[in-house]
Amino acid sequence: MRFSRMLAGLSLLASSTLLAQSPIEIEEAYVRAVPPTQANTAAFMRLINTSDQDISLVAAQAEVSAVTELHTHLEVEGVMQMRQIDQIIIPAQGQAELRPGGLHVMLIGLNKALTEGEMTSLQLRFSDDSNIEIALPVKSVMSGMMPHGHHKH
Amino acid sequence: MTPIRILLITCILALVATLVFIRQQTEPNSSAPLSTQGGDFTLNSAEGPVSLRDFRGQAVVLYIGYTYCPDVCPLSLAILGQALKQLPEEDAARVQGLFISVDPERDSLEHLRDYARFFHPSLIGLTADKATLDQVVQQYGAFYRRVEMRDSAMEYAVDHSSRLYLINPKGELVGSLSHSSSPDLLLRRIQELLND
Ligand SMILES: [Cu+2]
Repeated sequence: MRFSRMLAGLSLLASSTLLAQSPIEIEEAYVRAVPPTQANTAAFMRLINTSDQDISLVAAQAEVSAVTELHTHLEVEGVMQMRQIDQIIIPAQGQAELRPGGLHVMLIGLNKALTEGEMTSLQLRFSDDSNIEIALPVKSVMSGMMPHGHHKH
Repeated sequence: MTPIRILLITCILALVATLVFIRQQTEPNSSAPLSTQGGDFTLNSAEGPVSLRDFRGQAVVLYIGYTYCPDVCPLSLAILGQALKQLPEEDAARVQGLFISVDPERDSLEHLRDYARFFHPSLIGLTADKATLDQVVQQYGAFYRRVEMRDSAMEYAVDHSSRLYLINPKGELVGSLSHSSSPDLLLRRIQELLND
């Protein structure tokens, strides 16, 4: 308990978290703040694969929700369609973007309100059997959409 | 009046009646593609029934979605909330934001009230029975459908179109914006509605 809290504190300092020698790096992760009566929310982030093999995110577990699923959002002729998916592939030496309107980690059955500015934790499991636990901030929709230091190359 | 004059008037009246009749026959067809004409509706809020006509004299921005929607609904409402916050106070009093949920099964009136207020204190959350919602959705050229999610704890999703509908102070639908619009663009469009 104490150790994981320390880890959470450490990852607060670094924008990316790398644990247990996973070749996956995570940037700009956040959970969307929701009204107190809201039963679910979504987490967004950039997953970077530093290895030479494709790796998939295959499962997630949030500390604040009963169930955590991998979802995507498709826009078909102006109609938004949310669907559950088995995995999110992160190509070798590439990245996967989880962002509003597309891929997301869905937190279902929140056991507490998520207020902007708080930190919460999320465990991610990958197809290479590596696990990463990240601490991520709770952000409002608008501030989540405009992360500081978001550079396009 | 001479019989000839009576005949003439009768002919003219018959001609006018025929033209009016032809016009009425063709009019529904010529306006048929305009399925997105908007118009009045009455839905439920936690504070009682709300109709579009209650806001005559105000600009109205309307969004149709559901609260389980993870991103485009909160995004659209956040854009709306942001635009409302940027309006000068005297203008803000002349604008009403409405959020209509097409998921009445999960979105209670109390939840919708709290959810809407989270994005801006003046936003009103609305829903109704399926038949009423279907009518409003059709009026505004929107779309929704329930889709079962077999392996998901969500049980079902609600596929839906995602537009911010712009309604002028006369209650007329004049356009719409997507959820990828900036709050600044929405702000400008709201000001156009008010200055019209
Ligand atoms: Cu989702």
